[in-house]
Order: sequence, then C-alpha cells, then structure tokens
Amino acid sequence: MKKMTDAEKFSLIRREAIFTAFALVGLIIFWLVAGFGTSGSEIKIFHLPLWAIFGTFGVWFFAIFISWLLSHKIFTDMDLGGDDND
Amino acid sequence: MTENFSAILPLLIFMAFMVGISIFVRKNQAEKNFLGNYFVGNRELGGFVLAMTTVATYSSVSSFVGGPGMAYQIGFGWIYMAVVQVTAIFLVLGIFGKRVAILARKFNAVTVVDIIRARFNSNFLAAISAFVIVLFFCGTMTAQFVGGAKLFSAVTGYTYETGLILFGLVVVIYTSIGGFRAVALTDTFCALVMMVGIILLLNFVLQAGGGYSAIMESLEINHPEMFEPFSFGKMPWGIYFTQWLLVGICTIALPQSVVRGISYKNTQGLHSAMLIGTVVVGFMNIGINFTGILAHGILPGNPADYGGVDNIIPTTIATVMPKNLVGLAIIGPLAASISTISGLLIVASSAIVKDIYLHYKKNADNKNLKILSVATTAIIGGIVFVIALTPPSLIWLINMFAFGGLETAFFWILIFGLFWKKANKLGAELSMIGGTIIYCVTQATGFKFFDLHQITIGISASLILFLIGCKLGEPTDKKTLQIFFPER
Repeated sequence: MKKMTDAEKFSLIRREAIFTAFALVGLIIFWLVAGFGTSGSEIKIFHLPLWAIFGTFGVWFFAIFISWLLSHKIFTDMDLGGDDND
Repeated sequence: MTENFSAILPLLIFMAFMVGISIFVRKNQAEKNFLGNYFVGNRELGGFVLAMTTVATYSSVSSFVGGPGMAYQIGFGWIYMAVVQVTAIFLVLGIFGKRVAILARKFNAVTVVDIIRARFNSNFLAAISAFVIVLFFCGTMTAQFVGGAKLFSAVTGYTYETGLILFGLVVVIYTSIGGFRAVALTDTFCALVMMVGIILLLNFVLQAGGGYSAIMESLEINHPEMFEPFSFGKMPWGIYFTQWLLVGICTIALPQSVVRGISYKNTQGLHSAMLIGTVVVGFMNIGINFTGILAHGILPGNPADYGGVDNIIPTTIATVMPKNLVGLAIIGPLAASISTISGLLIVASSAIVKDIYLHYKKNADNKNLKILSVATTAIIGGIVFVIALTPPSLIWLINMFAFGGLETAFFWILIFGLFWKKANKLGAELSMIGGTIIYCVTQATGFKFFDLHQITIGISASLILFLIGCKLGEPTDKKTLQIFFPER
C-alpha cells in the first residue's frame, strides 16, 4: 500500500466521492431508461413485461456492476491512520 | 387463531442464540477503551459483517410487511420503485466511509455527533444533533416494536403483548449487554436469516399457488394494472420521485448508517462491503416484494379482505406455511425488526452517554461509564417498549416521518460539513433546527407541494437555510479547516 499524506488521502477520497455521485447519476438514468423507457414494449419474458425485468432485476444487476467498478477499479486502498492501521 | 407453541419454538431458540452472542462478545471485550468497544466495536469490523450490519439496520419490518403488502396491491411498479434502495449501501460507504473513518481515528470519535461537533465547533449543534437522533430513533424503534409484535400475534395466535415481551425485551437486553459488536454480529445473523426466510416463503407461496406460471397467468387476466409502471394511476410519478429521495439518495445521511463508517477495520473491508451490501439489499428488496405479488396465488381477494396491506404477509405465512415451519418463516421479518431496533438503540445510547454526558463530565471513571452505558441503552429500550405496549396506529407513517426527519436534519450538515470548506457553524445550526422544524410542521399540518412527501420541503428548506447561514456567518477557523481539508 502506497504511503500517503493526509492531503493526498483527502484528495483521493474527494475524487472517489465524486465518482460515487456520478455512479448514482448513471444508475438513475439506467433506472429511467430500463423501466419507463421500455414500458411501451409488448415483449414478455417469463410472463413479465420487459420494463418490469429491466426496471427491477436489471437495475439491481447494474447497481452490482457499479459497486464492483467503484470498489475494485476506482477506489484505492489506504491507511486509515490511528493506532489500528491497515 | 389458536396459540401454536411450535410456531414460537424456533423464535425462542433464535432469541436465545442472540443473547448468547451478546454474552460471548461481552466476555471477550477488551478492558481498555470501553467506549470505543461498546459503541463502535473498536473499529474491527470486516467487510462481510460491515455489509450485513448496514443492510440489516437499514431493512426494517416495514420492508418485510408493509412493503410487500403494497406490492400485492400495486404490482411491479412497487418493486420498480423499491429497487432504488440498491443505492443505499454503495452511496453511504462510497461517499462517507473513508472520510468518516479517518476523521474518527484523528479525534478518537465514536459517534457521528463527535465529528459534527469537531467540524462546526459547536456544542449547541452537537446537543441538538443528539436530541434529534434520540427523538426520531425512538419513533422508528416504536414502529419496529409495534410492527414486529403485530406480525407475531397474527401468525402465531399469541397475544401482541407476548410478542412484544418475547422479542422486544430480548433485543433490549442483548443490545445493552453486548454493545455495538454484539449488534453487528447479531445483525449479520439476522440478515442471513432474512434471506433464508424470503426463499422459504417464496417456495411455499409458489407451491400453494399452483406454480409460477399459473399465478402469473391469473394475474395477467385479473390484474392487468399490476403490469403497468403507473398501475393505472395507483403509482403516480410523485411517489417515484419522493421515494428516490426518501429511501434512496438521502439515506446516506442517516446517522445509523454513517456510524458504520467509524466501525470498520480497513479499506479492503469497506470495498467488499459496498459490493456485498448491494447484492444483499437488492436480493431482499426484489425477493420479498415479488413474493408479495405472488401471494395473489393464495389470497385472490383485495387487501381489505385480509385486514389491509399490512396483513398480507402475515396472512400468507399463516396460510401457506406448514404449522411446524411457521416459526421459521416468522423469524425473517422479526429479524428485520430486531436488527433495526438494536442498531438504533446503540446509536441513541451513544448520543446520550458520549455526546452529552461525557462531554460535560470528562473525568468519569471507567467502571461508572460501563454501568451508565448499559443502563442508558436499557432505559431507552425500556421507554420505547412501554410506548409500544399501547400501540399507536399508522406504523408506516411514523417510520417514514422519522426517516424524513433524520434526513432533513443531517443530509446537508454531513455533505457540506465534510466536503465544502465554506460550510460554517451558523449554516449548520440554521439548517438542522430550521429544516427539522419546518419538516415537522408540514408533517403535522399535512401541507404538501404538488402532493409530494414533506421530505421535499424539509430538504429544500434545510438547504436554503444552510446557504443563508454560510453567507451571513463567520467562516470556520483555519485550524479546523486544516484538519478537515488538509492541504499539501
């Protein structure tokens, strides 16, 4: 783990928080398109209309993907300080 | 309904296990740093437990009883609305997790109020924060007690009071004994039990309803509105909008969630928790609400035929589950109830002991502190228990009222406080006091804008007041800013 100053840590945390906010915006857009956006479709899968599948399971899977992306690709491990460091 | 002892036996074993965990934790608690141990588990939580305790505290009895009852009435539009809760875990941990963890280690903070006090240099704001936490948490806990005991009574045939004593008193006891670490471990167990409960109930609903295809074909013919996002007018856009605020975006400011950021061990754990928590919260939300819709296969009437939406899940459990499995099925929703109570109880207790008492009596000795912490937890739990003995009506509304109140009070304070240098004491005080009062007044009078939930008014008012305060008030001193916003 790279040694960082407090300033570097807080700058990184700010960047991560901004990415999380972007992820939220992305999820809201996905939710709108997946649900309302496909509600005109007549297609049904397992007796469920497309909007109900994309707007529920689809949103869940997309949120899992976003969480994975944030936690494994964007967020960085860091020492949290104190006497119980990583 | 007659009393059914086999229905409460698994619950008795479950509750005994919870108390056992609590006693084990207490016996193994390190003697040093009692407060850190008791209120945040000495910052030792790993990723899995962090995820589970955050989800379990967030998922209440409403998620398991009121929510699926509404899904039964509305259809897939309700699940589409409820699924916005998948944001709750990655947002709170992603935005506040690391910042709160580092700051807590700097100040040796064990509560969110500790951090607010340090950021705004205001004992007054800290006292108000503690008061708001205790007040709204008592409301939420009452709703959990009442919801859980009503469910217990409806399913097992025992009285409401028996249910309240059986699970209500036990949760107060085990939280008082074991503190936060016991809460986190029992929450983890509760979350696992909730998931098993959902699978079990779904399985029996499908069996009793003649299978998935049969139930869905019947719904397509008899309830076409359930396959439409606005449910033929039963789900207006305003509900979608306000639910995004109420149970989605603004939940990041719930003190019971933010305090989880103080309690974990390292950033690897935090990253795992974001992923695990999102998987679990989505599974629970979709699973239990879908089960609510499929309950039409065995309850073909209207909610009113079964005593209202809150009775759909209890009636379903009582109808489809074999008598010897009813006890297992009821543990899931009750686990949601007790995990929320325990999570709130420990934070409410810390607000009184750490944020108020200890601030004014800094030289309290360790032995007295232990007694005081345990006693405070027990007394708050006891008060809520007594209130729940004469249950108020409209549990769902009390729960949502408290949710909105906490979000109005803490949302801008935490966001601006931790990410905006210009946020100052006057802004924070005006926002918390003014926003919360305006929210409560609009709730009491029923005043709404465009028929939207009052959270929209509360959160807007607290934002405006914060910005006015920042414009008129003194800027934060440089020393504090250097701690919260260190520069190279």
